[in-house]
Amino acid sequence: MVQTVIMPKLGQTVEESTVVKWHKREGEPVKKGEILFEIETDKAVLEIESFFEGTLLKIVVAEGQTVPVSVPVAFIGQPGDPIPEVKPISRPAPSAETASTPAAAVPNVRQPLSTVTPSTSIASPASGVRRPAQRGINLALAPRRAGSDIPPPPPVRKIVSPRARRLIRECVISADPIPGTGPGGRVVEKDVQAYLEAKNYAVLKITPGAKNLARKNGIDLLAVPLTASRERITVETIQQAIAEKPKTMSKMRQVIAQRLTASFTTTPHFYVTVSVDMTDLLEWRKIMKDQNKPFTVTDFILKAVALALVEFPELNSSTDGHATRWHSRVHLGMAVSIAEGLVVPVIRDANDLSIAELHECTAGLALKARDGKLTPDEMTGSTFTVSNMGMLDVEHFTAIINPGESAILAVASTIPTPVVRDGKIEVRAIMKITLSSDHRLVDGACAARFVNRVKSMLEDLELWKSMI
Amino acid sequence: MPNYLSNIRPDFTPALVQCGAIACYQFKGTLSVELASGRLDRSQAIQLLEDMLTIREFEEMIVKLRSGAYDPLPNFNYRGPTHVSIGQEAASTGACAGLQGVDYITSTHRGHGDSIAKGCVALRAMDDAALRRRVPLAGSGKADCAAVRHDELLEAVIEDHVFRTIAELFGKEGGYCKGRGGGMHIADFTLNHLGANAIVGGGVPIATGAAMACRYLQNKRVVCCFAGDGAYANGVVLESLNWAAMGQYTNDITKHAFGLPIIFVIQNNHYGMTGRALKEVTGVATLARRAAGFADNNMHAEVVNGMDVLAVRDVMLRAAAGCRQGQGPYLVELNTYRYYGHSLTDPRTEYRTKDEETAWKALDPITIFSRQLLEAGVLNKDTLAALEQKVRDRNARAAQRSAASSDPSPADVIKYMYTDTTCEVVPESARQTKIVKELPVIKRVNGELTYKDAIKEALIEEMLRDNRVIHYGEDVADYGGAFKVTKGLLEAFGRERIFNTPISEAAICGTAVGASMVGLRPVVELMYMDFALMASDQISNQAAKWHYMSGANVEIALVIRASVGGGKGYGGQHSQTLESMFAHIPGLYVVYPATPFDAKGMLKTAIRDNNPIMFIESQLLYGLKGPVPETEYLVPLGLADIKREGSDITLVAWGPAVHDALKAAKILYDEQKVSAEVVDLRSLVPLDMETVLQSVRKTGRCVVASQAVSIGSFTGEIASNIMAQAFDDLDAPVLRVGARDGIAPQSHILEAAFLPNAQDIVAAAKSIL
Repeated sequence: MVQTVIMPKLGQTVEESTVVKWHKREGEPVKKGEILFEIETDKAVLEIESFFEGTLLKIVVAEGQTVPVSVPVAFIGQPGDPIPEVKPISRPAPSAETASTPAAAVPNVRQPLSTVTPSTSIASPASGVRRPAQRGINLALAPRRAGSDIPPPPPVRKIVSPRARRLIRECVISADPIPGTGPGGRVVEKDVQAYLEAKNYAVLKITPGAKNLARKNGIDLLAVPLTASRERITVETIQQAIAEKPKTMSKMRQVIAQRLTASFTTTPHFYVTVSVDMTDLLEWRKIMKDQNKPFTVTDFILKAVALALVEFPELNSSTDGHATRWHSRVHLGMAVSIAEGLVVPVIRDANDLSIAELHECTAGLALKARDGKLTPDEMTGSTFTVSNMGMLDVEHFTAIINPGESAILAVASTIPTPVVRDGKIEVRAIMKITLSSDHRLVDGACAARFVNRVKSMLEDLELWKSMI
Repeated sequence: MPNYLSNIRPDFTPALVQCGAIACYQFKGTLSVELASGRLDRSQAIQLLEDMLTIREFEEMIVKLRSGAYDPLPNFNYRGPTHVSIGQEAASTGACAGLQGVDYITSTHRGHGDSIAKGCVALRAMDDAALRRRVPLAGSGKADCAAVRHDELLEAVIEDHVFRTIAELFGKEGGYCKGRGGGMHIADFTLNHLGANAIVGGGVPIATGAAMACRYLQNKRVVCCFAGDGAYANGVVLESLNWAAMGQYTNDITKHAFGLPIIFVIQNNHYGMTGRALKEVTGVATLARRAAGFADNNMHAEVVNGMDVLAVRDVMLRAAAGCRQGQGPYLVELNTYRYYGHSLTDPRTEYRTKDEETAWKALDPITIFSRQLLEAGVLNKDTLAALEQKVRDRNARAAQRSAASSDPSPADVIKYMYTDTTCEVVPESARQTKIVKELPVIKRVNGELTYKDAIKEALIEEMLRDNRVIHYGEDVADYGGAFKVTKGLLEAFGRERIFNTPISEAAICGTAVGASMVGLRPVVELMYMDFALMASDQISNQAAKWHYMSGANVEIALVIRASVGGGKGYGGQHSQTLESMFAHIPGLYVVYPATPFDAKGMLKTAIRDNNPIMFIESQLLYGLKGPVPETEYLVPLGLADIKREGSDITLVAWGPAVHDALKAAKILYDEQKVSAEVVDLRSLVPLDMETVLQSVRKTGRCVVASQAVSIGSFTGEIASNIMAQAFDDLDAPVLRVGARDGIAPQSHILEAAFLPNAQDIVAAAKSIL
């Protein structure tokens, strides 16, 4: 009996995913629970285990292809079982939700809507054409024209005559900057020659090795950074150029870029900073650690923030520019830096958690984040975010509000600082925290009161002792 | 004074034209009478039976192979035609037995019998030295037979003849045509068999041309032209009958009154494929009556019992003797019968009765002649059975050897398409050129000749060099050709070497093929290239194909001069530029010079080449002057010429379009300082693509121009070649310029709009610059 492996729907909002890697090849046996393939959503790369036992009969969706969730990606059964036919799948129409995403310019995209084209290739994944594992552009980010059925204009193809193309190939340059003067704007040989002359190509001293390396890596010899030796282009020059060559962002990076750009350019940010005296709390933390209760600064900050948010609902709210929405629950986002970028796992109902529970929860989420194992649901739904760079030795920084939230708290390092205390200068452990607020929702006084509330809680050792 | 001036007076005297009589079935001889008279000896009589048996055995093998019943070759898969002539053995054998070994035959698609019989007769006429040369492995010093005595040698050679015939049938490299011809084209040209022709009637002008060559060479040889009743309704056959009987061969306008030594042998088996001559597709009861339409002497026509080998031999002996005395042509109708259908897939029941077949089979030539041999005591039952067994065994051995012999190599599939030989040295016998009167004066001004005179000068020089070069066509003699290209040649060379032909384009080209096979080097003129379509079978199926189809057994050294009339307002049937059509026929060379220099140099080369060549001239260019050296020179075929050097765009052209391209190049330079290179292709086949590619590699752009209509034009071939071989050198698509895709109109206004000109080339060039 043939079992159909489908593209899992791993998060409520996930509409499509990309197959990044198949761990099994066609014809290989598969055990239940073995990792069958990896997918990339707009948030993470995930390993998918097999639910079935048998032989991987056919891979329908090749590596690099993006398909809607719930469509067949493979079939598992016994060798010889008839394999069902799969119809070509068209991309789903953009949902209302994604369509409402503000249009964002997508850099370096020649074919809007189709950096990956499952609709044309899904029916023949076995065609032998292995698509490069392209980190496709999220549909949600593609430009879209509201209320219009006019298709986007076809991409403009640079027309280059075969003769010109050969010269371009021989010279290892790019055709893109060459203006064409032939019929219909075709770049012809003399255009290339004029361009080479204008760029003093003849002066360049290119080592054969450099030329080969450049050709192999698609480096334009006229675009490599010239070193002190000026006209001399060596293998080393090319290696630099390769390093500098623009690389397509990972899907995660692109999402970060899109979301933060949208937030920073559409949300009126303002910042309020206070210095928190952490001396007492840190000392008490040492004592707790010795008692085998290894709370982190983050745990204290999160707890303080969660408690403060209950008192300041303006800071636990969101807006679309017209209406405000106060959230009755506190779901804290915790920015975690990982190798590939930044993820924000969510601590649900943080205000209801004891400090010990918080500790356990943050530790678990941070670990999963660094291992790339967060599920989409674990990364959505926060109402306020804390970004802690305390361990990174910074005096002060400001953060960009996570879209859909009203503020974010940036926590800097705790630094021994001379302060005036009771008229005397003392060295205290001072931590600056900066609140970035959406001025549409939060006013300065409110923000000030909020950060001072957090500050006062962190400085109130009795409060913490009472919570243990 | 070779010129012949008519002096025809009006004469309307009442008269009755008598068509004379045609003798039918007059042969009274029997075997005993023939033996007694000494016209036939006993061994010859046995040979007649042996050859008929060999043919019958050969063809029954074909029938049996198709049903798996040929015991010597069980399970052999024979692929190929099955046009057997069983029943007609007396016609083939008797006819060939009336010829001498050196005489020629042409045959048909149903020609196994003709080929076997002709071969046996020719081989028996050979001396031991000639036989030894044909013994297998001869020349290697180790003959594979121990033959020493004449009869042993002959037997070995006849067995080899059967082997090579069967091997050809089987498509083997050891066949007479190296497997290139097959069952319908088996012929050994070295035995003076000029080809079995699968175009019905196609061999008849070839035979006529061969007879013309025999007459010219005065070699006392005779041509026997086999063709069936079906062929005698075909145009080229009727053209050939007229041609063979032309008055100029025998009357007072020739110095060598000698009728064409040809015997037209109608093998009347009563069926074309299935079409019946009698009552259905002809209007005569006796096909021999055709002769009366072409010769006042009815070509000595006779109708003979084609089932009686002695009657056939008798008539052929008499006709051949008459031919050798210049009494030809002769026409002989052999009334015979084909036992099987057109091929083995033909059930015969749709068009004839079993009774009819039974009646003819009762007269089976082999049965009857075997009985005569027994009755005359030439053979007894045992010797007859031994003869039959000998033939059966010989054929079986040959068949087994053929089946086991090597197939041609697939790599050689187009080997033998062309010959690379030329006539570099004229044999002594052909160097004695008699000049009847002084040569025509060709005016050279400042070292320049017209295109027309350049052609004439080439003809004169080559006719002086080699007396095998003859020239004929419509009105080329006294009148000097419709365009006066050959004016003065008749006076200089005489009517044997330059003569007028009837308006029979197919026969003009077909006779040239036959004359070439027998050793002449004919140059023929087609007044307008449009008329080449009248001769397209002879050009495309005969001239082009025989070298390959015979396995390089024969070369067709032949030049067909065809002039293009476009540009004169002569309308649709006198204006076509058709070189693309002939370039599409492998086996032909197609050349089209554009200047007087090239015209002379290329015509001289063409005449010396041993391939059939379409030499195309333009009437528009006949008056064009250009430098032509007085000293001897040749222009090779298959070498393009750069007529103007340039660096920005390549203009490829041939014929008159070369001059348009040159004009266009000048305009492009004057207007835009664009430097155009003009490549004159000169020769379409062989094609010098390298010169074109070199130019395109330099310039990156190309316009290909000719005067032909664009659709299907050879310009497309050039463009496609450039695309395939120089794609990366192109800065723009290759464009083509040609006449509009239409029919040449008469109106000058319309024709100007129809034909391409320099401005069209300029426009094309500008669009890709």
